[in-house]
Amino acid sequence: MNRYYFYLVLLNMLINVIIFVPKILIDYRYEGAVMGILMAIPIGITLNYFYSKAITKFPEQGLPEILANSKHRWLKMIHFGSIQIIWFSAGLITLVGFIDILSRFVNPEMPKLSLLAIYLAAIFLIIQLPTERVMYFLEIVLFLNIPLIGFIIFKAFTNEYLSWDSMLEVGTHLFERPSLKSIAAATYCFSGYANLIIFNRVIKGKLKIWNFIVIFFIGVLNLFTTFFIPIGFHGSDGAQEYLYPWISTADSLRLTYSPIERVIFLFLMFYMSITLMSVSVHWHVAFELLKGTFKEKVSMKKNWLVLAFFGGCSIVGVIFLNSLILHKLTIYWMMFRLGFEIILVGSFFFWARRRAA
Amino acid sequence: MKMFSKWGWMVIILVFVFLLNGCGFKDIDKRFFVVSIGVDLAKDGPKKYLVSLKFAVPSPSKDKTNEFAIVSEKADSMSEAVRIIKTKVDKEVDFSHAKVIVLSEQVVKEKGNAGIFYWFARRRDIQGIAWTAIAKPSALAVLKVKPKSENLPSNALILSLGKDGSETPYVISEFIFDMKYKLIEKGIDPILPIIEAEKDLFEINKVGLFNKSHMVMKLGPEETKILNYLRKREEKSAVKVKKGNTTIVIDTHKVKTKYKIYTPKGKAPYIKVKVSVEGTMEEATRRVPNEKLSDYEKAAEKSLNREIEKVLVKIQKANLDPIGFGLRYRSRHFNNDDWEEWKWIYPAITFKVHTKVQIADTGLIE
Amino acid sequence: MATNQVQSIKDSLKNKIWPAEDVVFKEFHTKEKYIEALYIKTISDETIIQDKLLKPFFEILSPDLFLDYLQSSPLVIPFESEQKTLDEVIKGTAILFYQNAIYLFDSKVDRNNSVLDTTVETTIQGPQSGFSESLPTNLGLIRKRYPQTSLNVESTTVGTVSKTDVMILHDTRRADTDTLTRIKQFLASIDVHMFQTGEQLLDIIKKSNRALVPVMLVTERPDRVAVNLAAGKIIILVSGSPFAVVLPTVMKDFMSSMEDIYQTYWVTKFLQILRYIGFLTSLVLPGIYVAVTSYNPELFRVQLALSIAGSRMSVPYPSFIEVLLMLFMMEMLTEASIRLPKAIGPTATTVGGLILGQAATEAGLVSNIMIIITSSVAISNFVIPINAFSFTLRIMKYFVLALGTLFGLVGVVLGFFILIAYMVKLDSFGEPFLTLIQSKPRKE
Repeated sequence: MNRYYFYLVLLNMLINVIIFVPKILIDYRYEGAVMGILMAIPIGITLNYFYSKAITKFPEQGLPEILANSKHRWLKMIHFGSIQIIWFSAGLITLVGFIDILSRFVNPEMPKLSLLAIYLAAIFLIIQLPTERVMYFLEIVLFLNIPLIGFIIFKAFTNEYLSWDSMLEVGTHLFERPSLKSIAAATYCFSGYANLIIFNRVIKGKLKIWNFIVIFFIGVLNLFTTFFIPIGFHGSDGAQEYLYPWISTADSLRLTYSPIERVIFLFLMFYMSITLMSVSVHWHVAFELLKGTFKEKVSMKKNWLVLAFFGGCSIVGVIFLNSLILHKLTIYWMMFRLGFEIILVGSFFFWARRRAA
Repeated sequence: MKMFSKWGWMVIILVFVFLLNGCGFKDIDKRFFVVSIGVDLAKDGPKKYLVSLKFAVPSPSKDKTNEFAIVSEKADSMSEAVRIIKTKVDKEVDFSHAKVIVLSEQVVKEKGNAGIFYWFARRRDIQGIAWTAIAKPSALAVLKVKPKSENLPSNALILSLGKDGSETPYVISEFIFDMKYKLIEKGIDPILPIIEAEKDLFEINKVGLFNKSHMVMKLGPEETKILNYLRKREEKSAVKVKKGNTTIVIDTHKVKTKYKIYTPKGKAPYIKVKVSVEGTMEEATRRVPNEKLSDYEKAAEKSLNREIEKVLVKIQKANLDPIGFGLRYRSRHFNNDDWEEWKWIYPAITFKVHTKVQIADTGLIE
Repeated sequence: MATNQVQSIKDSLKNKIWPAEDVVFKEFHTKEKYIEALYIKTISDETIIQDKLLKPFFEILSPDLFLDYLQSSPLVIPFESEQKTLDEVIKGTAILFYQNAIYLFDSKVDRNNSVLDTTVETTIQGPQSGFSESLPTNLGLIRKRYPQTSLNVESTTVGTVSKTDVMILHDTRRADTDTLTRIKQFLASIDVHMFQTGEQLLDIIKKSNRALVPVMLVTERPDRVAVNLAAGKIIILVSGSPFAVVLPTVMKDFMSSMEDIYQTYWVTKFLQILRYIGFLTSLVLPGIYVAVTSYNPELFRVQLALSIAGSRMSVPYPSFIEVLLMLFMMEMLTEASIRLPKAIGPTATTVGGLILGQAATEAGLVSNIMIIITSSVAISNFVIPINAFSFTLRIMKYFVLALGTLFGLVGVVLGFFILIAYMVKLDSFGEPFLTLIQSKPRKE
């Protein structure tokens, strides 16, 4: 069981709440979301398996090191560039989405840019760390937060207002034809493996089959929780009315004896750090790939230029994207991502096999 | 040079932050916390509603902690009322601690008031876990009650609805998010508890049953208790059994309910309801010998069967479904028109109630 | 060595050493032989000179036999260079001129060699004595606690003016050679005038000389040093300081007390968790207070929120000023109680803490809850066993407070994680400062 690999996948599973996965799934709950989830599981695990197998052939190397002496410079740049855009946009959607949530629920009177400023400060600090340090930090953040999320999920499952009948009602729409959108959204939970593109630097040795079995079980549990719990609280017909089903679900939980009575605040505090980590991990990948594109060592000035670009994009994103547009955009992004991922995994797997042979 | 660039960045970031940070900072003592919200129909005048907000007035001393102020305003919509109330108070109105929402009987009886529930659900600062109830005679009267035992404004309501304090089977409490869920979900209908204001205390032992838009009927205390049994929400209650001249009271500590919908082909559909009650004998008008307990159990079963069926039929006649039989039916059928089927089945369905009462203990006295 | 050469060295030495009051240059004569000695009497042990030099000189009559005695005495080192000789004289060595040869006679006085009680890192149980201020004594203390032949001691000097003796100790079988080289390079690169104690290294280590978090552990306990040696760490001893520096150090070391190995398993675990909770409380509590009272009063349940609101009713300024005021008061009190003589210390704490706090709430300057927060911050701050780190914590909480004031709850949470990220970024001689699972010490 390689814990670093596990963290990367787990992080994506946790962040799906922010990146509209439950919303997309719940929107299609009568139109094939259930089947979509069931189909996403084998797809996700397969992609996981092939990509990890391929990249662990190069132990302790990220993609830039693997391709360091590649001759096709332009091919490399296109390759890196497209991956960067995907990763950067993944982080951007998460960040913009979460800033929107914060400004709705936590700091309604504060300008969004101000919230963005503090997030960018923290993210820039983290993405410049060496890869192994990012991993250490991720480990600490998960360690601090996992008990909290476990507690919230436990509370949700044992809540008397959770209606199993509503969940089963959605379950009876199992045999609808799955829509591509729901498959794309559901596979996002498994796509944390793709961070190995850089984080393979810290993975020592081969990944055992155990990793995939564990990820299978956690993934099933995660998708089930993500999709069904909001339905159990807000109804098979009512859940789609909420823009952020999970935040509203957290607002429906009450801790009778805790000084913090409203679970929504525990939930938001938990997601403040998880979002920070998720954006940092994605942008760290993008940042390192960008550095790998240049042949010579990256100077301080170029470094700041890249960060300024990241910052500029997110400022534009926060100003121009409201949550409705962002939601629509995310649906198309999800489908694009799924297609890209399949191509990436396929081509990389065959390339790695040829190269290793 | 390097030092400068480092400090330069810091200064730029700081200035940026200070410029941006214009607002949002408001101290807790500059906020006026709404602890409960009441909605009445306006009696006279062109406006539709009378919205009352009950504010907690915090006091530095420990003895007078349940001071409050009520501000009311007539308006056509909730948001309009709140806007006007804001102009009447000196501090920022803060809804984040609004724990109780009461609507007067007139409001819930009238059609076309669902907009109010949506207003509560849409506002980000009103908690989903605010208790919702029907007020009698009016919402304002309920807000004005000041029980002696209360150490914070509205705390008595919070405790009795939240069951942190007294636990009784006559209260069916309801959160606003759950109310909204039941307003939309096909196959389950909303219930709200009715709070009656008396001079220094509340009486909460009745419920109002809703269809998808307004309140249709009320249930009395005993019926409420039966409904609570069926909803599996409360286990501590009392069952009164009469057998001959003897009346005994069973203090229940375990109530379990199961129901299943049977739709046999070619036969009339029916719902089998199984209730098992376990309890202690608490009171008896005459001495009850231990060997005769089973007779009393039988008698209790009989009377409970009758009562439960009566309540179920009464609800069914009004074409309401607060327990969620319809949802159960939908969740067990894979076809897409199950809801239409159910609408056709429900009015004709029969109930078969089986109760099992067990007196486990006769208290300290034999 | 030729006569004139010795003569010239003698003259040049005499020129270079200022004829101060305590500089002694003397000749001793017997019938057969004579010897000249140069030393500084305030830093030389005159009883050693008397017993080991003058008595034999007058008892051994034959000049050749006395020469043999000199050459075989463990206290005597032959002359190497003029500069070295000067350095030695200034540390208390006597220079002997005998029969056209120069000898350095080690007569350094070993003052301050009494072993001190631990005052900074006290424990309830376990050894109670710390280091002394004398380097050989300290080395002896360590050797006694760590009887391993693999213990290696290397010595160097640091400080352009102070020329302080510094010893580097490590267990050759356990310590990491890379780390050792890094530490040696670091010591060689230090450029300060006066080097008095190991604590100075804490700041010197940062290139910009502005460190926030200490990345080396300064301890006064020989038992801690022994335990750390066994764990493969490297120890630096500085002459004249009762503190040893342990390298490399990670956050876990700062959070551990020697008591951890003197207690039973569950007690230890409990105490460790307690320290981390203390760390967290002290770091975020002031920030949380400001964030909750000024941005998100909905965080706490209504009963608690109303009682906070009630207690703040009479406070005439915003919450962050209230917090700053009380925290400053507390810092003053802490600082003052360090400076005050031991006899008045408790009085100051009583007057400051109790009466001031009571009066401030009565006067409506701060809220009751603020007093509770301030004192719990102060108390939990001192739960951190290592002083250097608890001072760091004192500063770090202001960072969280500032972010909490500017951004509310988001600021507190992110501020906390920024600090964690900063500590993750640090490393102590190649070892990451903060990781969840510290790598185990190297096996032999």
